[in-house]
Amino acid sequence: MESGVFHTDYRTDMGLRRVPAERLRLGLFAAALLVFPFLASPYWLNLANQIAIATIGALGLNILVGYTGQVSLGQGAFMAVGAYTSALLTLRLGLPWGVSIVAACFATAAVGVFFGLPSLRLKGLYLAISTLAAQEIVEWVVTHWPALTGGVEAVVVPAPRLFGQRLNTDFGFYWVGIVLAGATALFTANLFRSRIGRSFVAVRDQDIAASVIGVNVFGTKLLAFATSSFFVGLAGALTAYYRNIISWERFTLETSVLYLAMIIVGGLGTIRGSLFGAALITLLPAMIATAGRELQQSAPAVAALLPSVQQAAFGLVIILFLVFEPAGLSKLWRNVKDYFYVWPFAYRRGEGR
Amino acid sequence: MRSSRFAFTAAGGLILSVALVACGGSGERAENEILIAVIFDLTGPTADVGLDYAEGVQGHVEWLNARGGVGGRPVRLIYQDYGYQVDRAEQLYTQFVQEGALIFMGWGTGDTEALRLRIAEDRIPFSSASLSHVLGDAHESPYNFLVATSYSDQFRIVLRWIAEDHRANGGEGNARVAFMHNASPFGLSPWVQGGEDYAREIGVHVTPYEMPRGATDYTAEFSRIGQSGATYVVFQNTSAPAAVALRNARGLGIDATFVCLNWCANALLWRLAADAAEGVVGAIPWAPLTADVPGVRDIRDYLESRGDDYGDKTNAYTQGWWTMAVFVEGIRRVLDAGQELTGENIKRALETIDGLDTGGAGPPLTFTPSDHRGSKGLRLFRAEDGRWTPLTEVLTAP
Repeated sequence: MESGVFHTDYRTDMGLRRVPAERLRLGLFAAALLVFPFLASPYWLNLANQIAIATIGALGLNILVGYTGQVSLGQGAFMAVGAYTSALLTLRLGLPWGVSIVAACFATAAVGVFFGLPSLRLKGLYLAISTLAAQEIVEWVVTHWPALTGGVEAVVVPAPRLFGQRLNTDFGFYWVGIVLAGATALFTANLFRSRIGRSFVAVRDQDIAASVIGVNVFGTKLLAFATSSFFVGLAGALTAYYRNIISWERFTLETSVLYLAMIIVGGLGTIRGSLFGAALITLLPAMIATAGRELQQSAPAVAALLPSVQQAAFGLVIILFLVFEPAGLSKLWRNVKDYFYVWPFAYRRGEGR
Repeated sequence: MRSSRFAFTAAGGLILSVALVACGGSGERAENEILIAVIFDLTGPTADVGLDYAEGVQGHVEWLNARGGVGGRPVRLIYQDYGYQVDRAEQLYTQFVQEGALIFMGWGTGDTEALRLRIAEDRIPFSSASLSHVLGDAHESPYNFLVATSYSDQFRIVLRWIAEDHRANGGEGNARVAFMHNASPFGLSPWVQGGEDYAREIGVHVTPYEMPRGATDYTAEFSRIGQSGATYVVFQNTSAPAAVALRNARGLGIDATFVCLNWCANALLWRLAADAAEGVVGAIPWAPLTADVPGVRDIRDYLESRGDDYGDKTNAYTQGWWTMAVFVEGIRRVLDAGQELTGENIKRALETIDGLDTGGAGPPLTFTPSDHRGSKGLRLFRAEDGRWTPLTEVLTAP
């Protein structure tokens, strides 16, 4: 009798989901995703859509920061490039939304490569500061080039339609959001099983060693910037089509920092971490706020203090994560799995997988 | 390892309990209650004036309910701080509308713009503390109502006054004006929406200067202003940054007349800028609480009955109070006409408001189906000895 899971051919051994339990969990998750929009209220759908967009953006950022080790503070800027490119292509040139979203992704990738050029010479904090410049430059261009971007005024994006149905309703967009988030996750998962993805990780872990074993370090960094920005641009373009209206205020440095928080809290260099982080950072303020509204009725005195408490609580959660589980929610999830793997026994044989 | 596991169980428990409270039922609701949703900025970059506005809105509702509500029905506010974040505003909007809010009161230019199309679709009458000119265009934004003079009209009134003042003081040539604005749609709105054209028309030379968010020093800007020979500086910003700039300018010895539009012309400016605020001219659509007019006396009586000192409140309080009052008037008209209370009917009722008397708190308000800019005029005040003293009669925008 087999006690355990044994792979007898390469195909199953290299599968993305190797164990029945993993496949079962994925199935359950997919089923939950399919049922969710029929049960959820518009408010929860709105949050879910925001999480879907944030997941795509966080996956993009994770490719650059988590997997390749290039810290970027330009997330907001790259999202702005994606959002404005797609919006303006539809608005000015009348391109269909699908085409302009794809074009926006490539445009953002190009901009990403441009701002990735300093990575030839700069590493770590120095590179982070140079991407901060990207953030400031893009923000400045958007607000000071009214002929192209409408300047500080908001840009109204035509509603995307599919088979005569408007797609930017909470319900309609949900499907676009989860399909694209799923595709992005699948692509990223496979990317890091390929030669290119492995070279990203090699550059992160030790760039000199990587170049010794034949990785073109600079080219790899630029490719990481391009791949990352492609998805970040997608997140930006989706924001534009979902929200119908964009203004530069949506893509500030705060956005960049929030996305960094997502991948740090979620888990650097993991795919499920991007999802967990996006969900937590989106849901936490919403939850605290809703809890606050409950208190408005039962304990008005406490509720009056709440706006300030909210911000502190948000900060506290992030600090607690950094202190107690630097590897993020993704590691936490693995701990839970490890615990139940041998439950009710206390120890398991060998290393945790 | 052990302690980290404990800490995480604790943290997880905390998050879970917050989630449970959050998902819990949202309180009982009386049958005939009228639900009005509001978002406030209590923690964001405009919280300096947002707090008083929020209290004004809440104050009016409490005052109204104590007098039996509107048409015998109580008004219930559902509100939340949104920290000036557009995403939060959108979430709260969906949540509140789903809970049955008939009217939504927004705050900043960013969130109001972001929601403009959705409210028209959902037929939710909307007011914002943002007085951006385009929001009053009933064709572009059919459900937005401006309950005070738009920023552009305020700016035009100020520019005309500057041109006259410049001549009256024997100034030669064209008046030179530095327009210092918040780095946002809010800041630029009066300039791009009509201000630039009008300045050219009347021959006033205006140069815009951006005030970066969170700046603590404007020496660079003022040295450029000093070189440009501008003798007037107009602020389109909230009180806190304007006060920083004023102190800065006085320190540098800039000899100019300072003018505050709407959001910095208030009592807070005094508190923050102290002597530096002396002599500042304010374009104030809603009277400060120190003004002795009937429309403000109600507010003062209410605050005194609660044991609050009205001297602490700014005219943002008046603006919040009266913004709510205007919507209540719309609701009253729907109920009086015996119609069903829907967003669409409230919008139509608001459009019948013709010369609504605000008891001197602001100019009379008029809305029509094609024009949602409630008022076109305001009074200019001057800051003297810690008070805003009327400088002109009500001026109408050119």
